[in-house]
Amino acid sequence: MKHMQRAELDSLLTHVAQSYRLLVPQRLEDGTRLLRPWGEGELVLSGEPVQRKPTEYFLPQLDPLLKIDTAGGVQLATVPETPLCLFGLNRADLQCLGFVDRFCAFPPQDDAYAVKRQNGLLIGLTGYCGPDGQLLPLTDGRCDIELIALADGWLAQAFTDIGSALLAEFNDIDPETLGTIRSLSEKRIAEERATLEQAARIVQQELVPDDFWREIGDRCILCSGCNLVCPTCTCFCVQDRTDQGGTERSRVWDSCQFDGFMREASGHNPLGSEALRTRRRIHHKLAADVERWGEISCFLCGRCDKTCPTGIGIQAVAAEIVKRFSTN
Amino acid sequence: MPSTCSTQRSSIYAPRLCRLLEVSDLTPQEKLFRLQLEDGSVLNHQPGQFVQVSIPGLTEAPISVASSPSRNGYFELGVRKAGSLTGAMHLLQPGATIGIRGPFGRPFQIDALRKRHLILLAGGCGLAPLRSLIQYCQDYPEQFGTIDILYGARSPQDLLFKDDLLQWRLSACFSCTYTVDNDPADSCYDGETGLITRLLPKLQIAPADTCAVVVGPPPMYRPVIEALHDKGLPSDRIMLSLERNMRCGIGKCGHCTIEHLYCCSDGPIFWLNEVEHLRGAL
Ligand SMILES: Cc1cc2nc3c(=O)[nH]c(=O)nc-3n(C[C@H](O)[C@H](O)[C@H](O)COP(=O)(O)OP(=O)(O)OC[C@H]3O[C@@H](n4cnc5c(N)ncnc54)[C@H](O)[C@@H]3O)c2cc1C
Ligand code: SF4
Ligand code: SF4
Ligand code: FES
Repeated sequence: MKHMQRAELDSLLTHVAQSYRLLVPQRLEDGTRLLRPWGEGELVLSGEPVQRKPTEYFLPQLDPLLKIDTAGGVQLATVPETPLCLFGLNRADLQCLGFVDRFCAFPPQDDAYAVKRQNGLLIGLTGYCGPDGQLLPLTDGRCDIELIALADGWLAQAFTDIGSALLAEFNDIDPETLGTIRSLSEKRIAEERATLEQAARIVQQELVPDDFWREIGDRCILCSGCNLVCPTCTCFCVQDRTDQGGTERSRVWDSCQFDGFMREASGHNPLGSEALRTRRRIHHKLAADVERWGEISCFLCGRCDKTCPTGIGIQAVAAEIVKRFSTN
Repeated sequence: MPSTCSTQRSSIYAPRLCRLLEVSDLTPQEKLFRLQLEDGSVLNHQPGQFVQVSIPGLTEAPISVASSPSRNGYFELGVRKAGSLTGAMHLLQPGATIGIRGPFGRPFQIDALRKRHLILLAGGCGLAPLRSLIQYCQDYPEQFGTIDILYGARSPQDLLFKDDLLQWRLSACFSCTYTVDNDPADSCYDGETGLITRLLPKLQIAPADTCAVVVGPPPMYRPVIEALHDKGLPSDRIMLSLERNMRCGIGKCGHCTIEHLYCCSDGPIFWLNEVEHLRGAL
């Protein structure tokens, strides 16, 4: 465990920026925080989570895959040679990124994601740096370095070799300095996740009747916001754009809330109703992904509940499921 | 210092060029395309697998390989004109090139079929993927028990692979029966009439020694499965090919999920007992 003051933090970031395209939280006029290039604006070290999902740097809304020339030759899309470093992500966003890393690495590896993500660096920021200085729960290690904000500077711990090397020059400190942060943080996480996990068990046991999905589905205006803001939503469709020089093939974010998402050319549509699509949105995170990947694929980043114009983000729906269908 | 990324990487999204050797009409809506990889390599598929056909400007569509890997030097695709990409394919002439990715997907589990009595049952377009297995059985008859081929189409004009059907009927390897839903006006038609489920009760089945393979349009599955269950065939000896909307073919785009399964990579071939309890699978 290391300890650093602001000047040392700046020196760490300056050092990182020599080898990485470093993005750090900065504040817009309206108060929202965004990741922006280091050095282009003031670094803002506390506040609301960054607005846009951090997975978009590796799986962007429009992701050019390749070009096909008129003779059928294929040229893969190029990516900047300098890898990215994302600084300032919270526990939930790092968990989401870790989940998507694993999803994309599952054979066959998604090379279009990997080529942007490989050699990248993740620096988490937790501790007393939430809105109004609230405690942000500690990460579960899905990053290279975690900085933990205290009243008098930051504790820093590395989870990878690259992280350790970057921290080597800073002063060691007794890990006991963490004090009660770990237990407070664990308590926070357990509280936050209790409802979601209980709802997950109910969904996994198929205790939610179709009428409920229909009712929630009726409230959905199909804006697709919940999917597009979600860092663990990775579904895409493919589009071609052709000009004289050939065709550019890209993938674009898609939403399972759209009627055409699963419709086949024959007309058969396994997700042919609002109710089924709403069930899919929730069931996929709380049950299907648990069965496949061993964990709930919602890490409570909060974006869908903040975004949904009709109040049916995942936490709202989970709370309703628990209220209505809990058997204990 | 992090290493730089190579732009010479290979990509799971990059299509390979194929040349069209032959095109033939199967029905007014379906054509058979015989193809070869432009670089001379072998597709290396297994019966039941599919490829993503790529046409620049029209993206991609999943199409099953309709020929057996035992037929050397080419592979075939039987394609129904269903929309933009398949429509454009129908305009192609021999000598043209298209892209493919793949082969993808879990194939028919041939090991589990060996030495058994097989019921190979297809409806409509489903005969295209099943044909790769039928050809395989035809080329390695010593590996399998007796084989019943059952095929149903809407009308005599809709029957796919008519030459093959004739040949299979005459072959010592198979007993081949086909049926059409509607009473044919065509007096040359010599097959059965009625839904495909009508053919099943007549079959002699020793359930312990039999496997069924079923490929057809979604509405066909439930009645056919019921008829096979009535014959005493358990779900772990019925293999199905399921169709879903597919964009990537490799478990990434999310369009083809059946609860926690990805139809493109966990399937498209499933044992019935792997999917029958899953919502929306059938
Ligand atoms: C595993 C598998 C094997 C198949 N094998 C064959 C075959 O051997 N012969 C055959 O004629 N058809 C087959 N199909 C159906 C075929 O994929 C569709 O008819 C085709 O995608 C329609 O594309 P289109 O561009 O002509 O139609 P449009 O309606 O213009 O576009 C539909 C778009 O939806 C997407 N899509 C992906 N999967 C499907 C699907 N299953 N149904 C509809 N749209 C889909 C494609 O990207 C396609 O471009 C198969 C489908 C699957 C999933
Ligand atoms: S809170 Fe919503 S947006 Fe965030 S991970 Fe969960 S489902 Fe996705
Ligand atoms: S954000 Fe809300 S209204 Fe929009 S698609 Fe999602 S659930 Fe429906
Ligand atoms: S087709 Fe893309 S995940 Fe199956």
